[in-house]
Amino acid sequence: MVRQIVVEGFDNCMRTTEENKNSNVYILFSSSKVNGKSWCPDCVVAEPIVEECISKKSDDTVFIFCGVGDREFWKNASNPFRTDSRLKLKSVPTLLKWGKPKRLEENQCADKELVAMLLEED
Amino acid sequence: MPPIDGSDGLKAMIEDLVNKNRVMIFSKSACPYCLKAKDLFKSINVEYHAVELDKLDNGPAIQDTLQAMTGQRTVPNTFINGKHLGGYDSTLKAKENKTLEVMLDGESYDYDLVVIGGGSGGLACAKEAVKHGVKVACLDFVKPSPQGTTWGLGGTCVNVGCIPKKLMHQASILGHSIEDAKSYGWELKDEKVKHNWETMKNAIQDHIGSLNWNYRVELRSKEVTYQNSYGEFIDKHKIKCTNKRGKVQEMTSRYFILAMGGRPRYPDIPGCKEYCITSDDLFSLPYAPGKTLCIGASYVSLECAGFLTSLGFDVTVMVRSILLRGFDQQMAEEIGKYMADHGTKFIRPCVPVKIERLEEGQPGRYRVTGKMQDGTEVVDEYNTIVVAVGRDPCTKGIGLDTVGVDVDPKTGFVLASDGEQTSCPNIYAIGDVLKGRPELTPVAIQAGRLLAKRLFTSATLKCDYVNVPTTVFTPLEYGAIGMPEEVAIDKFGQGDIEVYHSHFLPLEWTLPHREENVCYAKLICVKSLKEKVIGLHVLGPNAGEITQGFTIGIKLGATKADFDNAIGIHPTCAEIFTTMNITKNSGVDISVSGC
Repeated sequence: MVRQIVVEGFDNCMRTTEENKNSNVYILFSSSKVNGKSWCPDCVVAEPIVEECISKKSDDTVFIFCGVGDREFWKNASNPFRTDSRLKLKSVPTLLKWGKPKRLEENQCADKELVAMLLEED
Repeated sequence: MPPIDGSDGLKAMIEDLVNKNRVMIFSKSACPYCLKAKDLFKSINVEYHAVELDKLDNGPAIQDTLQAMTGQRTVPNTFINGKHLGGYDSTLKAKENKTLEVMLDGESYDYDLVVIGGGSGGLACAKEAVKHGVKVACLDFVKPSPQGTTWGLGGTCVNVGCIPKKLMHQASILGHSIEDAKSYGWELKDEKVKHNWETMKNAIQDHIGSLNWNYRVELRSKEVTYQNSYGEFIDKHKIKCTNKRGKVQEMTSRYFILAMGGRPRYPDIPGCKEYCITSDDLFSLPYAPGKTLCIGASYVSLECAGFLTSLGFDVTVMVRSILLRGFDQQMAEEIGKYMADHGTKFIRPCVPVKIERLEEGQPGRYRVTGKMQDGTEVVDEYNTIVVAVGRDPCTKGIGLDTVGVDVDPKTGFVLASDGEQTSCPNIYAIGDVLKGRPELTPVAIQAGRLLAKRLFTSATLKCDYVNVPTTVFTPLEYGAIGMPEEVAIDKFGQGDIEVYHSHFLPLEWTLPHREENVCYAKLICVKSLKEKVIGLHVLGPNAGEITQGFTIGIKLGATKADFDNAIGIHPTCAEIFTTMNITKNSGVDISVSGC
């Protein structure tokens, strides 16, 4: 069963991965909504595609949708999403499997086949 | 567009012509492009049938019908085997990217190219081929090693070769650097610095995992079909693909490229396959190997022995006869001497006889019995035994005999022309499966790229297998381009060879007082060819970086005078090649001390 968890910010995201460390954890890092609107057009395109692929998974899976803050926060090169050695994010959207060297960036997240490939078992 | 009066009859007539003639050209007698199109078919000895529309009363009506049928009004309007090709430009383009051949052939296949093997060569070839608009699939399947190790897409280099090897070599170099650091003023609190195998192994495997993933993303993005399947030829255009769940699928292709690479060979002695590991297993070994025996004197064996020794393990190398067969033997012996001086033990000349397990565990404990050349038996115990006595090409069990691809009956290497074509004309081979070619990643990549270009464009450039540079990443690195000294003497005669040589001391080694007279460089020149340099050999730190740059000079035919005329960069190791003035013949002492 897929459990979807929506979190905001780095600390909440890391806490949630820790709480679910015994499951397969996937995280989509995406722009936070400001007044209900996303500031990142690529994220808007990717989100429904990733969600559709995720909903097809049946095994013990946790999917974290993590907002990385507003544009100004994200663009700051020293924000923890960019600097933390476990993440080292370069762009949003980024979809990754937690603890594995598999990730998709930007418009790759909107490619259904690539997303399905990332969600495959190792 | 509304039907033109009588066009149904004309359409039937056109279809009849198109179906009856392998090449059908609707033409006008005075049109220069029509003449060019006809000349093109004449130049490749292909017969065509032409209808000159300007000579027919209903010519304009035929032209109208052709436009309705093909969307093309202009002439020439060419059809091949019933399929519309287009005008002169389309015909020329089809000739250049080889699709004309395919159309003339009349056969249709699932793919234009199927590459068997997703290693460096196979991937490079597949990615190059799709650039030219053809349909490509790549099969990759890793049979687990006898110890059960398996890995992802990318082949030997990425998973169990160059990449993890160089990273472990780097781990060992860093250990030495930590020692050197004290001489440079770094005060290390903990005098005994320890190495953690698992941390290194995990970091390396993570990096490899990201490379495997990126290759898959790349293939998908470039629209190369990737199949994690084992391929077996059914006929020369058809292959059976079996995935790890046993699911079978068939694919047809116009061309195939064999790029399966090789795997480590096990000597046929009791206990070897059961208890020994190879380079296939070492780089992902979940536990520190402990006391280790490396069997063989290949570069793989010496590199593994080298970094394991530097990481603090008790390491022995069992050598049958010479070190680094095929490499310059003076350099090989120098490498062995340096390793022995730095703690690696050598048993030679000696061959293994049997291996017994004394204790299971991670690592376990094994007894190895060897026989010295004089018949003396040597017995010792080890925790890990790494076999590195050579590699065999993966050419068995894929149906090469079915399709008539000739292989060397003794070794299994594929025999191919200088354009990598095998004895089955639509099947080619690149990389480590080829007989008599250097088994090196960049060679396979180059051959793969150039082959794809030749197959699908008008390119003609073939891979140049001469003067391929390489480096052995032993603790003291050894870089080489061109001939070993003994090969040069054999080819040109002792009297025509001049060898310039010198020891050198890296500046960085002076403060920690590392040993003098171990780093060494030599240039092998042919006197009768104005001292053209036909061999460059260097033993020292970063030998790979030194050797790479000089490759261009050697390929361009540089002479000793050209080297003398080059200005050095000071202070570097590579600058030694610009100032070499002592010949081996002179017998002058080449030892150095300080700058």
